[in-house]
Formats: sequence, structure tokens, C-alpha cells
Amino acid sequence: MLLAVLQRIVKMLTRVQSGNSMLFLGMLTLLVGCGKQDSRQVVTLWHQMRPADRAVLESRLEVYEQQNPEIDVRALYKENEELRSGLESAVLVGAGPDIVYGPWDTLGVYNEIGAVQDMTPWFPSEVQQEFDPRTLAILPDKENPSLRKLYFVGDRFGNHLALVYNRNLLKEPPQTTDELIVAAKANTVDETGDGRPDRFGIVWNYTEPFFVIPFLTGHGAWVFANDAPGDGRSEVRPVPELDTPQAIAAYQFVADLKTKYHVLPISADYNVARELFLSGKAAMLIDGDWSWQDYVSAEEIDAAIAPLPIVSSTGLPMKPMVSPKGYSLSIAAQGKRAEEAMQLIRFLTDTPTQLAFLEQQKIIPSRMSLRDHPLLKQDPTLITSFAQTQNGRLMPLVTEMRAVWDAMKPPYQSLMSGNISAADATRQMQQSADRKIAALTGSVRPGVTAPLLPFAGFALLLALLVWQRHRLVEFFRDLRRNRLAYAFALPSLLAIFLVVVFPLVFNVALSFSNMSLQNFRDWEIVGFHNYASIFFGDQAAKFWGVFFKTIFWTAINVSLHVSIGVLLAVVINGPIRGKAIYRLLLIIPWAVPAYITALTWRGMFDYQFGVVNQGILAINHYLPAMLHLPILDWLNLPNPAFAACIIANVWLGFPFMMVIALGGLQGIPQELYEAARIDRATRWQQFWNITLPMLKPVLIPAVTLGAIWTFNNLNVVWLVSNGGEPSDQTHILVSYVYKAVFNLYQYGYGAALSMVIFLMLLVFSIFFLHKTQATEGVH
Amino acid sequence: MNEPRTITALRHVVLLLFVAIAVWPILDVVSISLRPGDRLRSTEWELIPENWTLDSYRELFTEQPFLRWLGNSLLVSAAVTAFGVVLASMGGYAFSRFQFVGRQTMMLSILTTQMFPATMLLLPLYIMIAKLGLINTFWGLSIFYVSTALPFCIWQMKGFYDTIPVSLEEAAKIDGCSQFDAFTKVILPVAKPGLVITALFSFMTAWSEYIVAAQVLQDREMFTLPLGIKSFQSSMSTQWGLYAAASILVSIPVVLVFMGLSRYLVSGMTLGAVKE
Repeated sequence: MLLAVLQRIVKMLTRVQSGNSMLFLGMLTLLVGCGKQDSRQVVTLWHQMRPADRAVLESRLEVYEQQNPEIDVRALYKENEELRSGLESAVLVGAGPDIVYGPWDTLGVYNEIGAVQDMTPWFPSEVQQEFDPRTLAILPDKENPSLRKLYFVGDRFGNHLALVYNRNLLKEPPQTTDELIVAAKANTVDETGDGRPDRFGIVWNYTEPFFVIPFLTGHGAWVFANDAPGDGRSEVRPVPELDTPQAIAAYQFVADLKTKYHVLPISADYNVARELFLSGKAAMLIDGDWSWQDYVSAEEIDAAIAPLPIVSSTGLPMKPMVSPKGYSLSIAAQGKRAEEAMQLIRFLTDTPTQLAFLEQQKIIPSRMSLRDHPLLKQDPTLITSFAQTQNGRLMPLVTEMRAVWDAMKPPYQSLMSGNISAADATRQMQQSADRKIAALTGSVRPGVTAPLLPFAGFALLLALLVWQRHRLVEFFRDLRRNRLAYAFALPSLLAIFLVVVFPLVFNVALSFSNMSLQNFRDWEIVGFHNYASIFFGDQAAKFWGVFFKTIFWTAINVSLHVSIGVLLAVVINGPIRGKAIYRLLLIIPWAVPAYITALTWRGMFDYQFGVVNQGILAINHYLPAMLHLPILDWLNLPNPAFAACIIANVWLGFPFMMVIALGGLQGIPQELYEAARIDRATRWQQFWNITLPMLKPVLIPAVTLGAIWTFNNLNVVWLVSNGGEPSDQTHILVSYVYKAVFNLYQYGYGAALSMVIFLMLLVFSIFFLHKTQATEGVH
Repeated sequence: MNEPRTITALRHVVLLLFVAIAVWPILDVVSISLRPGDRLRSTEWELIPENWTLDSYRELFTEQPFLRWLGNSLLVSAAVTAFGVVLASMGGYAFSRFQFVGRQTMMLSILTTQMFPATMLLLPLYIMIAKLGLINTFWGLSIFYVSTALPFCIWQMKGFYDTIPVSLEEAAKIDGCSQFDAFTKVILPVAKPGLVITALFSFMTAWSEYIVAAQVLQDREMFTLPLGIKSFQSSMSTQWGLYAAASILVSIPVVLVFMGLSRYLVSGMTLGAVKE
């Protein structure tokens, strides 16, 4: 019966396949000349437009396809980071989309890895002049720096922050920070009288350093010392400048809002800040142009947008960071494809398209001709928005920006949770930025061991073969003798290894290589450099800290998974009513996707509105004062945040173990229990002497693999702690690797770390399986 | 079999407690899916929000290719389940019942494939899939899923076969069965709980994965459900209503599959068929 099902599925898969090849044939016929509906020229566009913008884009693409019936535009939305990493991989095989639409700051990377190509032939300088110069990226050619190339054409300008305020709570927006403090104090109220304010003067997402930039500029600070390369027009590399008296003053001001004036909530990430404002529980909010429509049109509040205030102590306006978004031509588009892609880019950056975005989404156009549009003079939101962009500071178009964000984030979070002073925070930021930029822009040359490594690998393999030659001979002899056994085992082995062999070998090679942002496509084997920097580099101490934390994480998760799973299986397996319902409800944590439940767990641990703290409050109500449980700011303290990750992961994992144990229980002969009862064994004795030993063969694979999976479980830690918050103190090894690789492009280092993880798990598994004799069969 | 009342009551108490823990966070997801205006957080806990709406659900079926994604996911998951069960039931049997050269090495080596952090293998995996021309095909994805699910499934099946007495096959062989017949006619039916777990696990592997899928599938019409759901996510402007509603809907087929399969988990299949 199984085989029949298999056959049908193969047929279905093949049908899908053949559907595709039909399409392919159709495309071929077009090339020959007999154009049909489904045989149009395909132009692919990867973009990261927000939902509301997507609708405008789609309607414009429809217009385009009507005007150009021979073109089929395939637009694919990809989330920011996914678009970036997707394009990076695609570049390596020369595949990918024809056009990418994205933010300004990833362009530096695209240029560095050679993912985009010059658009000047389609945008000659007279056309360029029609654009706001801040929305075009003209960068020096990598080989020949005197050549300037156009890599990015913006269709909008902004992405800036401003002050959003609720007119129900605040009549006039503050003009200065002194006024802001007064207004914020007046609006921070404890309505319920429980000693904690339920309404706040001001909120913003204070986990992200992007939101602190206006405070820096208002105090006369910035992130780089030399701003000239900001537009990418100079070859001088920027130097981060984060530890200045002005910056300290700025961070001190921000921290004071929380600890001195008490006008900020205890914790606020983006979603909490947004919710507080939308529900009328915050008088002011700092948020970006992408969100204002939402607030202005919300019914419960009366929101308006105002420019960010002037900092009273300096007299300087708070300037947000501003940047364009726009289109680039990918290197995958060559010849005729490039021609067609550029035609589309010109259409999408042309006046009618920008007008549609301006009218429907209140987006500031990049074309100068539209800057005099009446809407920009009449619409109150657009007036403020435009003024704020003119008073903004252009985001530097340099790859170093990413390292600076990365360096600012952890100390900023520590500062906001009151763990360090402003001066310490800026000092840490500067040190970390210097180190990260060195890692990002550094390029490792092959060491002395490099040329020998491939030979060494070969020799090792050969030695292994020679050493095991007797077993090999035996194996081939056995192949004939034990036909059925091999016929049963080999298909699975092939299926597993055909898929993973190449990635594994590639990863081994990568771990000895210098693959990084500087050597993305021309990486080479350099020797043991990556391994050395794991164990002896300046981050080595941190590595061991994370390592022991990972062991703790694995041990506690797996033991809780197994004990809860077995407990529930034993309990449910008894003679009770409603078994089916219980079983069904208990597997729900497994059935609902973790990428949403991990986020709801994050919400449950929120200091003020989370159900965990509210539950503790309720329990404390019934307890004498001395037994009161502490109310923790779970997500902003390192250990509670890690505990939150563990709790969420235990919740996610116990149903799986329960199902395994339930299955295992079915295999235990009832006679054993009957015999035990005759011997007057207690329930506990029965469990300990019959149930557990009989479950062992079934549980051991689950425990072994459960430990491996938990050790490598990136998702839960990443989602619950929002990427390692607070201050990168909740990382386990994989999330640590992930961050190194994807934030700083240290592919070589990441590969070496994953080899180390692999070896650790291998040693553990061999030891554990040997102990439990799980590889033994029944013969 | 009768139990003292207190024990039965205790069982219910433990189960009810854990049901509450299991279901509570899901109620949050339900609540988000009913909230208008894409609001992930709320300052007041309520299962049914004041101005609740089913718009998100409606939009999924009318404006989003949700059914298309569902079909894609079902196809891929069914394929992975079928291949997973067939291959693992055979592989596990070989490792449980036969003594052959390389057995231990093979068993350990299939485990090793799980030990690499998956995110690190993405880049080479993409290169391989692209070079083989499998981008945007369900084949590329299904083969990868089968190979990810198999190590656990094989080990799991081996563990199950180990609990089945060898005397069962010996009895069958005395009755004139070949080893193969003994496997299909005698052992497989007894190993049903194991097969069910293998099936469930293979299904879930394919059903919930999105990282590799995002690399392989690059056409919105080809998306599997998790990819479709992820496409509602966007930095600082996620469509939380759709995201939550789709997450709830995604779990319904899992619950149905589990319901269909779970009677084999409780059948109380007796192994006393052969007296030892």
C-alpha cells in the first residue's frame, strides 16, 4: 500500500515538473518568434517594499505589462536580510534576479561583492540631474577607482524619524527638549494607583540604535569622524567616532529620561512602543515615515506628526538619519535582459510612478520636478516630513555602517537597562566598532600551512583507507553475503549523503579559507587562521562563556523535555476518560509554527503587559509579603532573558517527547505489569523497573538527536531574545555563529566555528551512544 | 482495569495543568489574528478583542494565494512523508536485525549529518541546488527534506524494532515465510506506533521548514505555507493579523494528521502473540 502511495506522489511531483518544462518550452517558442500569452520575456524583481507600498508597486507593474505586452514582470517580496543573503548566494552562481530594490545601506555590500552593475548607459548625466543627488549612488569602480559608476537610482527619499504625538493628550508638540521633558512628565500617570505608571510621556523602540541617532545629532555628535565618504564619492575609509563628550551627553540625556525623569516605560521594543501609542498610553512617540499613515488614521487617538525638537543644552535641532531607497541592476542581467530590466527601472523611477507613491503613500519623491507638487505644500504630514528630511543627515553609504550599528546596540541596551554609565557605553561602542571594522575590512593572506592543507587532507583520507583496508575488503565480501541488509540500508544512506556531502566538504574547505566581505568571490585557503582566532583570538574568552552556556541550555532543555514528555505519556496512558482530547490539546505547541509562538512568548515576558509578571502579581496577592515573588524585567536582564528562552523552548519541545514516549509505551507487554502486580510491586517500582527500561530503546534516539537539535537550535533563542538581547548576553553557540557570519560576513570564521560545534557533538554522541549501547541491534 | 479514584483524579489534574500551559500562548495567537490593525502586542489581555474581525482570515482566502500555498505544502509534505516512512522502515530494520560490516559506522555517520548548524550549510546547499537546476522545483526541496528527516526516522524505527522480539520473525520463518515476508507481514504491522511517529516527524519536517525553502523557491506561486507566512513579515511593518491567522490555519492540518494517526499510538497493540 505504501508503495502505491509513493508511486502516486512521484507522479504528482513529475506532473508539476512537466508543467514547468511546458513553460520553459513556451519560452523557447517565443525566442523562435511565435509569441503567446505564457511565452513572454521574464524580468525578475526582488524588492523589500512594505505591504502598503507593495499594492502601489503591483498596480504600476500592471500598467507596465499592459504597455509592454511582451514582458512578464515577476516581482518577489523578500524581507530585508533575506533579500541580502539571497542575492549574495545568487551572485556566487551567477543567478538571481535582474533587478533589486532595497535600502541604501546594503548597497555598499552589493558593490563590494560585485552583485550590481553600472547603470550610467541608461541614466546619462543629464537624466541624473533630474534626481535629488542624495538619491543616486555613484561609486568608484573597484578595479579602476577613477571610474565612477551609477549603482543605485532612488525612487524616494526619507526613511526618517519624527515626533508623533497624540493631540488628545498633548495640545502642542514640544519645540525644545526642555519642553519635551515638561510635557512628558505631565503625561506620565499612574491611573490605577498600583505604583507603576500606566501612561507614559514618551516612548520609542530603544533596543535599536537607529532611534538614538537624532539625540546624537542634537548634541553635536555623529557616528563617523570624517563624513565626506558618506555619499560614497570618496575613497577615504570612514573612521567611527562614537566616544566623544557630545555623544556621552546625548546618551546621558536619553538615560535620564528613563532613570531621572521616569517618563519612559521600563522596556519598549518596536511593537510595544507602537502599541502603547496606538492605545493612547503614550503621549509622544518617535517613529519613522513608514508608520505615520497608520497613526494618523487610527481612530482611538488623534495623532499628528511634528519635527523632532531642538536640544535645549546645545541649541541644535535633533536630526534624524535620512536615506533613499531604490533600484539596482543585478549582474545576473546581461545583454538583452539588462536592456529589458533597465527599461523597467526607468519606468519605476519615472514621474508617474513616483507620483502614485506620493499621492497614495505620502512618499517623498526623488525626482526634483515632483518636489514642488502641491501635496508637499498642503498635507500637514508631508509638510513636516519634507522639512524633517531637509533637516536630516544622510546615512553614510559605507559597509562600515553595519559594524557601527552592531557595535552600538549592546552597550546602548545595557545603558538603557541601567547597567552601565553613558561614558562606559560610548567607550565600549568605540572599542567594539574598531574591532568589528577591522574584521569587516580585513583580508587574511594565505599562511605557510595553506598550500599544504589540501595535500594533508588527501593524505589523511588515504591513511584512513589504508588503515581500514581490511574492513573495506570485508565490506565488499559482505555486500554479497548480506544482500537483504544492504538493500534495506543503502537507499536511505544514499538519500542522506548525496544531499549533504557537497555542503559538508564545502564547509570544511571554507573553514580553512578567508571568505569574507573582502574575499567573497575570490576566497582561498589560508590555513588555520579561523581556528586560531576561535581559541586564541581576542574573543576566545567569550567563546568559552558561550560554550558553557550552550551546554547548560542543552542539558536543562533536554532533561525537561524528556521528563515532562514521559510524565505526560504515562499519565495519559492510564484508564481515564477524554484521552483523545487531552492528546490533541497537548500536541498543540508542536503543531503551531514556532516562528509565531516564540514571538508570543516574548510578549508574555514583557515587564509591564506580559502575562508572566501579571501572574506573579496575582499570586503575590495571596502570599504574605515576605514570600512575594519578584517582578522581573525578564527581557532586559541577561539571566531572566535566557530563562525566558529556556521556558519557551521547553514548551515547544515537550509534545514531541510525549508522542515518542506514547509510542514507546504501546510496545510494552501488559503481562509484565500483571506479573509485577502479582509480586505486589508499587506503581513507582513498576515505572522504574518496567516502564523506563522498556522505553529506553525508543527514547535514546530521541534524546541523542534532541540534544543535537537543542544545541543547534537557532530559532528560539533568536526570536525570544530578539537576536541576543539584552546586549548579546543570551547567545548560544549557533546564534553566536549566525551573528558573526551574517552581520560581519565572516564566512570562514563561521565555517570553522561550525566545525568546532560539529566535533563537540560528535564526541558527545559517540560517548553517549557507547554508554547506552544504542548502536547494538537485536540479532 | 480499575484504578483508585485519587490516582484518576491526579491524572486529570496533571493533564489539565499541562493543557492550560500548552494552550495559553496559542490563545494569544488567536487573539492577534482577530485584532484589526496588525497589532502584535496589547496592553490588555483579552481573547476576543473588543472590535474583533475575521478580516485576516477572509483576506487569506480571497486576496492571498493561501490555498495555493496549502496545496504546495501538502504535496511536498506528503512526498516527504511517503519517502521517509518507506526508507526509514527499511533502514531501521536493517540496523536492528542484521549484523553486517560497517553497521556501526553507518549508524553514527547518519547522525553526524545533523550536527552541523543548518544555517552554515545554506550557502553550499544553494550552490548545489542551483547547479543541478533544481531552483524553483519541489524536487529540490523534497529531496533535501527527506535527507533531513531520515536520520531521526531511521534511528527511531531501529529503536522500535529493537523492542519487538526476534522470536516473532522466527515463528514466521518456521511457517515458511522468507525474511522479507516476515518483515512486511509480521514486523511492520506490529511496528505501527513507530511508523506513525516516523510519518508525523517527516510530515512536520517538511511542513514547518522555511529557511531552505526560501533559497529554493523563488516564485510566490510556488511558495510553501511557511514561506507564504514569512512573506507577511517585514521590518517594522509586519502584517501581524495575516501572520497570526495563517499560523493558526497552518496548524489545523497537523492536528488532523495527528488525529488520523494517533489511534495507532494507543491501540495497546499487544506483543504477547509469541510466548517467550
